[in-house]
This record gives sequence, structure tokens and C-alpha cells, in this order.
Amino acid sequence: MIRPSGIDRRETLRYMGMHGKPDAALEELLDKWEKRLLEELSPRYTHRIVPLSFMPEGILCVGTALVLTGGDIAGHLAGCGRAALLCVTLGHRGEHLRRHAGVCSPLEEMAVNGLENALVEQICDMAQEEILHTLSGVYATWRFSPGYGDLPISVQEDFLSALDAQRRLGVSLSSGGMLMPAKTVTAVIGLSEEPIAKGKRGCGSCDLRSRCLFRAKGEHCQ
Amino acid sequence: MNILDNRSFLILDGGMGTMLQQGGLAPGAVPELLNLTDPARITAVHQSYIEAGAQAAYTNTFGANRLKMAKTGHSVTEIIGAAVKNARAAHPELVALDIGPIGQLLEPTGTLSFEEAYDIFREEIEAGKDADILVFETMTDLGEVRAGVLAAREHGGGKPVFVTMSFEENGRTFTGCDIVSMAVTLEGLGVDALGVNCSLGPDELLPIVEKLSRWTSLPIIVKPNAGLPDPATGRYDFDPERFAAAMTKFVPLGAVIFGGCCGTTPDHIRAAARAIRAMQPAKREIRIPPVVCSMTEAVVIDQPRIIGERINPTGKKRFQQALREKDMDYILEQAVQQVQAGAEILDVNVGLPGVDEPEMQKAAVLALQGITDAPLQIDTTDPAALEAGLRHFHGKAIVNSVNGEEKSLRTVLPLVKKYGAAVVGLTLDENGIPKTAEERFGIAERILSRALSLGIRREDVYIDCLTLTASAEQEGAAETLKALHRVKTELGLRTVLGVSNISFGLPARELVNRTFLTMALQEGLDLPIMNPNIESMTAAVRSFRLLAGYDKNSVDYIAAYGGEAPKAAAPASQVTLEQAVESGLAAQAAACTRTLLAENEPMEIVNGRLIPALDKVGAAFEAGKVFLPQLIGAAGAAQAAFEVIKQTLCETQGETVSSGTIVLATVKGDIHDIGKNIVKILLENYGYRVLDLGRDVPEETVADAVEREHVRLCGLSALMTTTLPSMERTIALLRERCPWCRVVVGGAVLTAEYAAKIGADFYAKDAKATVDAAKQVFAS
Repeated sequence: MIRPSGIDRRETLRYMGMHGKPDAALEELLDKWEKRLLEELSPRYTHRIVPLSFMPEGILCVGTALVLTGGDIAGHLAGCGRAALLCVTLGHRGEHLRRHAGVCSPLEEMAVNGLENALVEQICDMAQEEILHTLSGVYATWRFSPGYGDLPISVQEDFLSALDAQRRLGVSLSSGGMLMPAKTVTAVIGLSEEPIAKGKRGCGSCDLRSRCLFRAKGEHCQ
Repeated sequence: MNILDNRSFLILDGGMGTMLQQGGLAPGAVPELLNLTDPARITAVHQSYIEAGAQAAYTNTFGANRLKMAKTGHSVTEIIGAAVKNARAAHPELVALDIGPIGQLLEPTGTLSFEEAYDIFREEIEAGKDADILVFETMTDLGEVRAGVLAAREHGGGKPVFVTMSFEENGRTFTGCDIVSMAVTLEGLGVDALGVNCSLGPDELLPIVEKLSRWTSLPIIVKPNAGLPDPATGRYDFDPERFAAAMTKFVPLGAVIFGGCCGTTPDHIRAAARAIRAMQPAKREIRIPPVVCSMTEAVVIDQPRIIGERINPTGKKRFQQALREKDMDYILEQAVQQVQAGAEILDVNVGLPGVDEPEMQKAAVLALQGITDAPLQIDTTDPAALEAGLRHFHGKAIVNSVNGEEKSLRTVLPLVKKYGAAVVGLTLDENGIPKTAEERFGIAERILSRALSLGIRREDVYIDCLTLTASAEQEGAAETLKALHRVKTELGLRTVLGVSNISFGLPARELVNRTFLTMALQEGLDLPIMNPNIESMTAAVRSFRLLAGYDKNSVDYIAAYGGEAPKAAAPASQVTLEQAVESGLAAQAAACTRTLLAENEPMEIVNGRLIPALDKVGAAFEAGKVFLPQLIGAAGAAQAAFEVIKQTLCETQGETVSSGTIVLATVKGDIHDIGKNIVKILLENYGYRVLDLGRDVPEETVADAVEREHVRLCGLSALMTTTLPSMERTIALLRERCPWCRVVVGGAVLTAEYAAKIGADFYAKDAKATVDAAKQVFAS
């Protein structure tokens, strides 16, 4: 379990679609829910470091049945001999509290949704840091998740099996292939003995670039 | 039945997966398939455990359900049938059919229905008919376990049922189920042994089992991992000797059934069996107090606890309208308000002529337990509705109620027993409500004795001595209190009383109610059924708990009243309705509306004030001057105002306001619904009636709803590129079956071009745009 001391307010507001300064009432609402979420949620993660085998049909995570397909992940992991497979979840309580907030008011639901989105990213950062801390002399890529670029979300099933994520985290897939609980992230971090070119994540490689509201305003999301 | 059958201890086997992996198992391979492809290998693993001292063999069927086996090309019956044979071939004393989690989450977090889960387990249980014991293990969701245990009870031929769940170090499972809830719910359902397996090593499980041992009288099962795994190698850190030493610590706690989970081998079981068999089982004398629970929270009736009475349509036109419209949000709001006000248990009564009560009771129970931790009291006179509520509540409920009539005793008490609920016994019978305390006490005794004869625990019978109206029968109040006192002291039972009936027909009812409540508490009332939103009533209970010494150091009292005084809301006269809406002030918006209603027609307020205010915020949003949170805040305030208007219309004209009906759904395969929920609120603000079909909605369900009410506009939402095809299919089906219906689509991955390509009439880039589409459709 990871326990951050706070939830990034700027990110929360960004997830809520709030660009200006929030008023006092909204700040108060966010304070209330931030406290409750930090008290009641048990964010967890699990990971596994796997050797990579580059094959014509995709990249095999050795020792698992997971094959990462598509050109984007191949580019991302180029030069990496290993990768860390990561799964982070806020757990079932996050779903319960978001539903509860929805009964209170639509704004509360939105606030909890924003806080949870910011929190799960924060936990990803903390998990990544912890994992990389245990490895010396490696260089890491940024996190690449199923659904980015042309890496299909259909790999989630093998991804979760490779991490035994159901037993370790209580995470599963819906019949439609969605991660559940909803505030769950899976990601691949490439690991290399050699320095990796600065991550090229940006609007250019994003699927949403044509209609992104941040981009339209000249801003960006990360 | 005594599952130990003269044994002091029952030794189970250890890890099956661990042994298969040690022998080599390809990544992603399905271990259950080996039952068919390499039966000798499976039997050999069983044999190695039997030789090590295990008496029961768990079949190699952990994931052998129809969802997980679908890709293997073999049926559940084939795989499980072979697995039982393979276990039997090793000649254990007992073959246990091993059933693991289904692998999909139940509603409301997931999409699997309780009935589907039940049927999946039923199939496994029937396929394993030749096993001796049915075991559910590594479970984390009490709802899923209940589906399994009910399937086992109803299709298992009377075989003993074991359940072990997996707890984390915080004493809860991943789904939030706590130890007490597990214990009391499952003992109530009649399982034969329960305990823990997997997730942690023996040392970490010790405090969990210690707590469990205080909350169940059943034999306790302990099946831990071999310590904790090394994060780098995945190897578990306890060797057999250390494992055995750790396992002996569970014996004094009352554990009698032992085995191993991940990382354990025959050597672990051999060492543990030897160490445990050198000991004597602990003598246990367990008295479980009166307690009810949800999946996540247990409420011990060791002091007065408030049962909130507001989920009940009697005499409430607005509630009746909500029931007729299947408006679950309204019911959920009642729950949240009451819990915030201090209710600890919620009474659920959804009976209304013309409403399918069993269906509604089920829907209400499912929705309520998705948003509140409070245990529920199922309040109905319809046995079918009672069973629907009990079956779908994943905790220990209270049944409200049984009475002394033979017919009631005969229909209600067996359901109480079957589902392990507690029950409220009303002291009335064929002859009505007796006048004297003596006679009511007599009925209480009769109800108790019938309950005991069916195996219902004494602690699960609560008696309601019935409040009569003081203005009609003044001496009745004293008789009620006298009967209550005797039931409490002479029968030792918990007592229930609906208090507010006492003041019927009198002025200033709250004064009489509060005084009667206080008198009843002093006589031993445990469970007042009351309106917790009336502050003086809840305060009476809280002060009583303080003065009677239940609230140690006045902690709860101070938590409720010791903080800063709540900031007074701006008086309604100081802000206009428009300002309240624009600033997202829900309470003020409602107050303004109440004031305006004194001199204005309801629809004038809607069309002349509310909608223009919303339009103004909407325009500012489009211009980028305000952002989504402000728009949603305004929508919330308008919703509060609208609720006041609905209430008024209900009471004065019995009619509902509607500018038109719109069907909304998140398409099949997609579980994201926040965008859809926002659209719904905004549409309702503009007076549209929204039939919200929820998320992950099949195409047919959408078409059925549109067809049934000849709906003119349907909104579809999808957040993922992978679910867009399902949106396209839904539109195609609507075109075919409901050509009159226009379709508006929205969602993060949609574009105007794509919307046009899949045949939608409107593309809504945000919630506001959906309202514009609705205006256009309904103006024509």
C-alpha cells in the first residue's frame, strides 16, 4: 500500500476541466474529499521485471504469455533488454466513494473523479520511483499503457495474468475488456543499460491530438 | 453436520499451482486443463500431499468456471468431472471441490449480475457432484461468496460448504469486506466452516484469525501462503519448519482445519501436520452479540442504534412518484441524507400499489449497498419482495417484520433462517394489537419460541411492542413501555419501536415524539425507527448514549456537536434564484424556489427563471468564461430548485413536469459513465424526463426502451475507441426498430465526422450541446 500525503490539486483541477482559479466553495469541497479519499482508499501496486524478446509478431515479455504488438511500443522499447510491467489501482473503495459522491451532487462526483484520476497518476509515479530505486545502473523510459498509440487494449488480459493482478490487487477485466476497478492503470516501463533518448511522448504521438481541448487552448496535459 | 467427524483436526493439502509450476508449466497455460491432458500428473500431486498427511484433497479446479474455461474448448462438466476423478485416484479421506473467484466483478463496480454469478457457481457445483465437500477459496467479494454459497445450498445435495476469504493487512479484503461482516453473514447462511487463505503469510494472518475466532462459532480454517514472496524472485520465505511453527499459533485461537496456499509444498504440510497433531484443539465458548452488517460494516446492537425510516412511500407523494418512475437516485438521496444525519441502519420499504415490489426491492437493495455502508432492514409484507431483498443484500439484514399470526410465522421465519437475517417481531396476532403489556409479552414469547425452534439465534430476534397513538389511547403509551421493559429484562431480547406514531393527531408532534423516545430508551429501547433528519430526535439518542455511559468520553457526542457551529447560509432573500444557480448554491436555490412558489406558478419559475439562468451559465461555458465545474455546480443548484418544484407539483396536482422523454445509455462494453451522468443532470434541469439505462447497455435494451415509450431522442455515450463499434451497432438497431428516434452521441473519443459516419443525427461535444440537440428535437 502506498500512502501519499496529499493529492495534486493542480492536476485534479486539470482533470475536472477547470482552467481558472477555483472559488472557495470548490476548494472546500476538494479539501473535504481529498481528506476522505486519503483516509479510506488503499492504493496498491504490483510489478514484475521481465526480459524482452523482440519477435516479428511483437515483443514477448519472457516468462509470461504477454506479447506487446504494434509499431509504437516497438519504438518505445527499442534498445531495452528488459521492462517493468506495472499495475496500479485505487481499489474498490474508490468506486464506492465515487458512486456515493454522485448521489450527493454532480459536482461532488466530478470532484472525486478528478481527485482519483490525479491520485492514481501520483501512485504510478511513486511506484515507478520505488521500482527504479531497487535497480541500479539502468535507464528507464516513461510509462506506456495499453491503448496508447497502436498497442491494443486487448493485451490487458495477458498483462494482468503476467502480474497475477487479480490475486495480488483484486483487479480484473470486464467482459468488454475494461480494467476494473476503473481507477486502475497498467503500464510498461522499458529498462536499458544504455541511456535512452529523451522520451518523445507529446502531442505528436497522441491519438487525441486532433480534438484535444488542452491543445486547442495551446496547453498540454503533461 | 460435524465436518470434523471425530477428528481433532482436519489437515488439508498445500499449493497445487506451486507444485505444477515446479514441475514446469508454460506461461499462460491453463492449469485446470491438465486434468484432461495429464491426469497422472495431477493425481501425483494429490498423492504427494496425502502421503505428507493431508486428509482432504482440493481438486485442481480453482478457475474451472465457464468464463475462464471458454477459451479451452472444454466444458466445465468435463474438466471438473475429470478433476474429481484425479483427486479420488489419490485416495484421500475427502475430496473437496475447489471453487475460486469467477474473475469478473459483480455489479455495481463490475458488470456481472448476482444471478449470472449464481449460475456460474451452480454449474461448477453440479459438475463436481462426486466430491465430498464444496470449498470456496481466495474470495474477496462477500456478494460473490453469497452467490456461491446459495448455489451450494440449493444445488449441492447437502454437502458441507467451506469458505475461506483473502484479507489484506488492514483486515479487509480487496472489495472492503471486513472480518466481522464475513463471519456473521456466512455463519448466518449456514456454511460449515470458514476461515482465511492466501494473500498473506501465517504471521500476518494471526491477528485476522484472532478477530475471526471471536465472531464465529464455526470451525475455523487457516490456509496461509508460505510467508511473503520476495518481490524480485517471487519465492516465498518460510521453509517447512518455520511454517509449521507459525501454524501452531492458530490452534489456541480455535482453528481446527489447516492447509497451505501459495508457496507451500508437501514438506510444509508434513511439518505442519506433525506439529499440529501434537496439540489439543482449543475449547471455545463463543457468544456472538446481536449484530447486523453490510459487506463493509458491522453494527453491534450493544447500545441504542438509529434505524432511519425515510425510505418509505407511505404518505409521501414525491416518493411514490419516484417509485413509479423507477427513479433510484431519489431513493439513494434519502439514504445518504439519513446516514449523514446519524442513521446507522436503513429501513427499506418500496411497496406501492402498481409497482412490482419484488423487482423494486431487489433494485433498491442492490443500488443502496453500492453507495452506503449502512446495514439494511427489509420492510415489506410481501414474502416475494422479502426474499428478493434478502437474497440480494450481501450482509446480515433485519427483516421487518413477522408477527404472532400463524400465517406470518410460517412464511417469514423460514426466510429469516435461510438468509441468516435478524427479525423484528411485532406483538400482534389474529386478534389485533392486545391492549395490555401482559398479552403483548405473551406474543413476544410465542414469536421467540417459534424462531428458536427453526434454529434462529435468540440474539437475532428483536421485538417491537408497538406504539399506539396517545391522542386516541392515552394509557397505551405506558403499556407499550411496560411491555418493552419486560421483553428486554425477562426475555433478554433487543427491542425495536417506531416512535413517531405516538403523536399522531397532536400539535407540535416533535415534542411528544422526543419525550416518548427518551422514555423508551430509558426502558431499554435498542432500535428506534425514526426520522434521523429531525435533529432533536437524533440528538436525544446521542445524548442518551452519552448519559447512559455508552459513548465513552463523549467521543461521538463531541464529534457531532463539538465542532464549529455550521456557517449560516445566506438568507434566501439576499440572493436571487438566478444568482444561486449561477454560483452553484444548491440550498439557496431551493430556498429561493420555495419563496417564489408562494406567488408564482411552478412552470413559470422553470421557464421564466431557472432555464434562462442555466442558459446564461451555458453560454458563458461555451464562451470559455466559466469551466465545467461551474457548469456542473449550476446544474446541481438548478437540480435542487427543480426538486422543490417537483415536490410541489406532486402534492398539488399529482402531475410531473416534463418537456419530453430522452433515453440515455453508455454503450455495451463501456463502463465509463460520468459524462453520461452530467448530461443527464443537465437534461433534467431543462425539464426533460431521462430514462437512464446505465452503462454497459446491450443494443437490444436501448431499442426496447425507445420502442416501449416511443421516445424521440436517444443519447449514447462511449469513452473508448474499442466501444465505438458497439455504438454503431446500437444506432443501426435503432434505425431498424425505431425509425422515428433521433440519436445524439458523445464521448471523449468521438468526433463530428465519426458521429456522422456511424449514422448519428447529432454530435454533442459536451453536455450543453446535448441540451441544444434536445431543444431542436422537441421544438419540432
